[in-house]
Amino acid sequence: MITQSTVEKSRRRQSTGIVGRRVGRIDSLDKVLGKPMYTMDILPENSLYVKVVRSSVPHALLRKVDLSKAETYPGIATVITSQDIPGINESASLLPDKPLFATDRVRFAGEPIAAIASLDISVAEEAVELVNIQYESLQTVFSPLNALKADAPKLHPNGNVAKYLKVRKGDVEEGFKQADIIVEGTYKTPFQEPAPLEPEAGFVIPESDGSVTCVGSMQSPYHVQAGIAKILSLPPEQVRVIQAATGGAFGPKSDEMPIDILGMAALVAIKTRKPAVLAYTREESMIGHTKRHPFVISLKTGAKKNGKLTAWQAELVADTGAYASLGPLVVTRACFHATGPYVIPNVKTDAYCVYTNNTMAGSFRGFGGPQAHFAAESHMDEIAKKLDMDPVELRLINILKPGTLTATSQLVDEGCGLEECITKVVRQSNWYKKRLQIKRRKNTKKRGLGIAIMYHGNSLGPEGNDFGSIHMQIESDGTTRLRTALTEYGTGALSGLLQIAAETMHLPLSYFKLDASDTAYCRDSGPTVASRTTTIGGRATQLAAGILDRKLREMAADMLRCSVNEIERREGVYRRKSTEQSVTFLDVVAHAYANGTSLRETGNFTAPKCEYDPETGQGTVYLQYTYGAAIAEVEVDTETGRVQVLKIVTAYDVGKAINPATLEGQIEGGTIQGLGYALMEEMIHKNGVVVNANLGDYYVPTSLDVPEIESRIVEYPGALGPFGAKAIGEPPIVPPAPAILNAIDNAIGVRINEIPATPNRVLLALRKIKIKDA
Amino acid sequence: MTFTVNGKRHTLVVQSHERLLDILRDRLGLKGTKEGCSTGDCGTCAVLMDGKLVNSCLIFAIQARNKQIVTIEGIGTPDNPHPIQRAFMKWNAAQCGYCIPAMILASMELLDRNPNPTQEDIKRATSGIICRCTGYLKIFEAVKTAAAEMKAQVE
Repeated sequence: MITQSTVEKSRRRQSTGIVGRRVGRIDSLDKVLGKPMYTMDILPENSLYVKVVRSSVPHALLRKVDLSKAETYPGIATVITSQDIPGINESASLLPDKPLFATDRVRFAGEPIAAIASLDISVAEEAVELVNIQYESLQTVFSPLNALKADAPKLHPNGNVAKYLKVRKGDVEEGFKQADIIVEGTYKTPFQEPAPLEPEAGFVIPESDGSVTCVGSMQSPYHVQAGIAKILSLPPEQVRVIQAATGGAFGPKSDEMPIDILGMAALVAIKTRKPAVLAYTREESMIGHTKRHPFVISLKTGAKKNGKLTAWQAELVADTGAYASLGPLVVTRACFHATGPYVIPNVKTDAYCVYTNNTMAGSFRGFGGPQAHFAAESHMDEIAKKLDMDPVELRLINILKPGTLTATSQLVDEGCGLEECITKVVRQSNWYKKRLQIKRRKNTKKRGLGIAIMYHGNSLGPEGNDFGSIHMQIESDGTTRLRTALTEYGTGALSGLLQIAAETMHLPLSYFKLDASDTAYCRDSGPTVASRTTTIGGRATQLAAGILDRKLREMAADMLRCSVNEIERREGVYRRKSTEQSVTFLDVVAHAYANGTSLRETGNFTAPKCEYDPETGQGTVYLQYTYGAAIAEVEVDTETGRVQVLKIVTAYDVGKAINPATLEGQIEGGTIQGLGYALMEEMIHKNGVVVNANLGDYYVPTSLDVPEIESRIVEYPGALGPFGAKAIGEPPIVPPAPAILNAIDNAIGVRINEIPATPNRVLLALRKIKIKDA
Repeated sequence: MTFTVNGKRHTLVVQSHERLLDILRDRLGLKGTKEGCSTGDCGTCAVLMDGKLVNSCLIFAIQARNKQIVTIEGIGTPDNPHPIQRAFMKWNAAQCGYCIPAMILASMELLDRNPNPTQEDIKRATSGIICRCTGYLKIFEAVKTAAAEMKAQVE
């Protein structure tokens, strides 16, 4: 038997084969052919369409919900409310605060109250309009700062703070005394809409044995299974959850939204004994699913004349909307990253996750990291300005390096390539020369260059139990299948797992196939979030593939009548060392099948626990970190306020690039989402009602917004991932916004503390300097 | 009404409110055309109508009468993908894949009228379709590769 420790020894060995090569993703052919595979492409015949009745007001008691006209409308199959729930009326992620259907009170505009099903979707839509709801308005609160005040309406039994946490390191007051300068600033970030191109959808088939089969667009099938089982009051095994091809996710498809969708469809399916489908319109998707938390971050820092930071004080207030979703964990991550990747002896951070009557915020790529870094990295440029120091220089004086301590006093290990990331982007962007050239431009189109750096704790850390499970089996024709409840929703990470398996077993990649994520035959592998598929899933893959490889070698040795140590393997051929005797992979598989030897193995990997003291926030909060740096070059039109990004240069320390091609895809995609966050993306609530819930009024970057992007890969192996690999799904969205805002400041000489930096905000900022100059 | 889809003539009775997107997906079973917003903003439902890229969610079915429609299913086969499809595979330009049928059709329309597109031409030709995953750059590269390959084939 192979043990975890033998895998451990081989894990860090330099890879020589398929890992590290640019290879095509396994799902590319189906995708370029447009094969039917997403939820709405594979609907069962005669499915009932479900439409949701939603509240039109942000905070009210439900005085009366009159469904009678809808119930009797011709063509309506059924109308369901909380009364139809056999189990618990709950669809929540972390705290049991959110009902599937509101019963007596609504807390945001758009909250589900009932659902209506018909074979004809337009009949269901018409019936939704016939529901008569009488509201008794309650006092509302839309600003998280106001929600913290004593006279704010209490939105939940325990008040308006869903989570508070803190970091205490050293003594900030002492740090401020030692400082030569003190800098203060407040930074604001918006609701950002994830906008996966496929809106949420799912269907449920009622099975004859009382169980249900749920198919949908999602990230985490077991999270959905647990949620549906609770609603239906079924044992989890009787809720089979299958992930259909998922057209983008970025976070919300891991939260409660798939439970909302499949929960309502399941109630209809059980009541009518017919398959039922619920597919959100774009508007429902944008209102209903979770978005990036808006934060208000106040920073006060102290530094010596030589640039050394002496103290960092931060207060973070996040608006999680009407229900917590994963807000408490988002705020946890933001809290632990609030200082940026710097060595600071005295740190004091307070972070609040606050309820309001806005729509929900929750998981979105970066998970608190983008907000924390927007503040920290904008602020670093303010410190540099006050010290009259180059922003790169200030950063290099203070960055984390091996042997230093983070804000939570975690020792930085050898796997830290932050300095090299900075050096690379500085050289690549021609930073020093360009910053001088730019200052000489005299026309109305001002150019600027800005830098931002980042770190990102990998995997769940304090956010939960971090485990992965990979099942592999070799069929009699040699097809080697990999099955996992980790999901593919665009990243290519599961194709990376096949590379890791091929490398571990010394087999050609073409032998491997990926099965759909299905709770019927995949063990729970934790949620597909936090950029953890490659790190945690990769480790489990190494275990499963390692066991199979060992078995195959043992059988080859048996067939060649030698010891297993004499077997060499390469590309599917097992050879006895220093002889011509060999057997092929297919020979060995045939031998196994003839002898009844099982070629099915599961690799289970559990990451070591992260521990910290909740009183001080001190401890090991993540097992390894991804580091990165980005420099943006912008042109600001001082007449229109329009900002055009000309170029972004990035460098990320990813430990080990499993597939550099898909890695670049993550970097480029994240960079453009970050550009949108910096300049144009903002979900606007007016008195709690979202006014731009469509892709015409909510601006997502198009091909015309794309600047030149150069990405550099830096590899300082981490302690956690396979071959030293680190997380890269989320990090690229972190530095673009502060880098672009720093570049705008460099161009026009004024700091904009709130994103997005729309033309309006840029013009207002320009007016401020004009007034000051006058 | 009668219209041609991927070279095959179809005669259907359509309702006045049915969209081209609905009849392609629900009546003809061509599921490669995706619905992303229903308001003409995202472009994932784009198909070619008489060689021009249109959002099939904004076109009533009846407007397609006597027209030639091309959807992703009419472009290539598993054994013989179109050079544009091969180029998208080569560059791993499909991530979640939802916008890709429309992106490929947009690339096709571009390369039909302009075999030597610049980066700006490609940006303009694909600007009606939102891709939230790739950041577009791999798509631009794929279109360039396809252009080169298609030119080589002609020569």
